[in-house]
Amino acid sequence: MSEKITLEQKVLSRNDLLAADLRRLFASEKVAIMNMVSSPGSGKTSLLEKTLGSLSQNLSIGVIEGDIQTDNDAVRIAKTGVPVHQIQTGGACHLEAEMVRKALSHFRLEELDLLIIENVGNLVCPSAFDLGEGLRVVVISTTEGDDKPLKYPAMFRSAHVMVINKIDLLPYTDFDVQKVVRNAMSLNPEIHILKTSCRTGEGLDEWSGFVMEFVQSNNE
Amino acid sequence: MHELSIAIEILDIVEREAAKHGAAVVRRVNLRVGDLSGVETESLAFSFDAVKGEKDLTRDTILSILRLPVKIHCIPCDGEFKGAGHMVVCPQCEGLDTQLLQGEELEIEDIEID
Ligand SMILES: [Zn+2]
Repeated sequence: MSEKITLEQKVLSRNDLLAADLRRLFASEKVAIMNMVSSPGSGKTSLLEKTLGSLSQNLSIGVIEGDIQTDNDAVRIAKTGVPVHQIQTGGACHLEAEMVRKALSHFRLEELDLLIIENVGNLVCPSAFDLGEGLRVVVISTTEGDDKPLKYPAMFRSAHVMVINKIDLLPYTDFDVQKVVRNAMSLNPEIHILKTSCRTGEGLDEWSGFVMEFVQSNNE
Repeated sequence: MHELSIAIEILDIVEREAAKHGAAVVRRVNLRVGDLSGVETESLAFSFDAVKGEKDLTRDTILSILRLPVKIHCIPCDGEFKGAGHMVVCPQCEGLDTQLLQGEELEIEDIEID
């Protein structure tokens, strides 16, 4: 005779609990955490370089790199002079809270204002894993489809901000900005939207200002 | 393929729970997966079968997945609706002033053991 045992337990509760621990640690060390996600080729690393260029004068920043294929991105970031640690995911498609916890030994948290996590280039897998971040940023580019939010609803649902990158290429694509905004908002009415171009510099001041505000509000 | 991580996590929870209750065999795991969870049913079922292994406890365990569609409450309409696809837009007034009632679940409802 079988017995039924009621669990009603979240499958990822272990990751969620660890993320909650991290969040408490980050709060006590007064460091703001930003988790950046995107598809491969969205220009996320370029955007990160620009962000570091403009903010590292005024803020003490660290970067955790989650690129699983190569250390190219970590090398690019290291050139900006910001401390960077590459997570070896062993081929995993996403970062988990435990990986972030282990990576923290490579930073002096008490000296940081902002820790940026560049997640693995993938819009599906990272969505379910809370890393203890205060801000989740999804980067898409105008060379991708404007139906991206509808194809990856969990990610756009969980993000606080959508950055539409490569906005300078808009005249050469059939990407419809209004449509992508509508699609994102139909999943996440509160999502904040910014447009950037790392080539022309359009929107980068607004973006940096937004991140700066996030860091400041985190310290209040 | 984060379904593999999820399958491993499920197995881990199930084994711990089975041990707690002195189970010899886990017959079935009943899982609830919302359409907004970002989890693919087929890929998860495949992953689970790949990791459940040769232990007597879980060798024949069936992973039963109940998909839950998106359900919203529209505040201006004061009504409950099924979301159109993944969207949280109200199908009646087309507004966004809604609350998600269902769709983000990824949880083990119960397990059946012997
Ligand atoms: Zn309505």
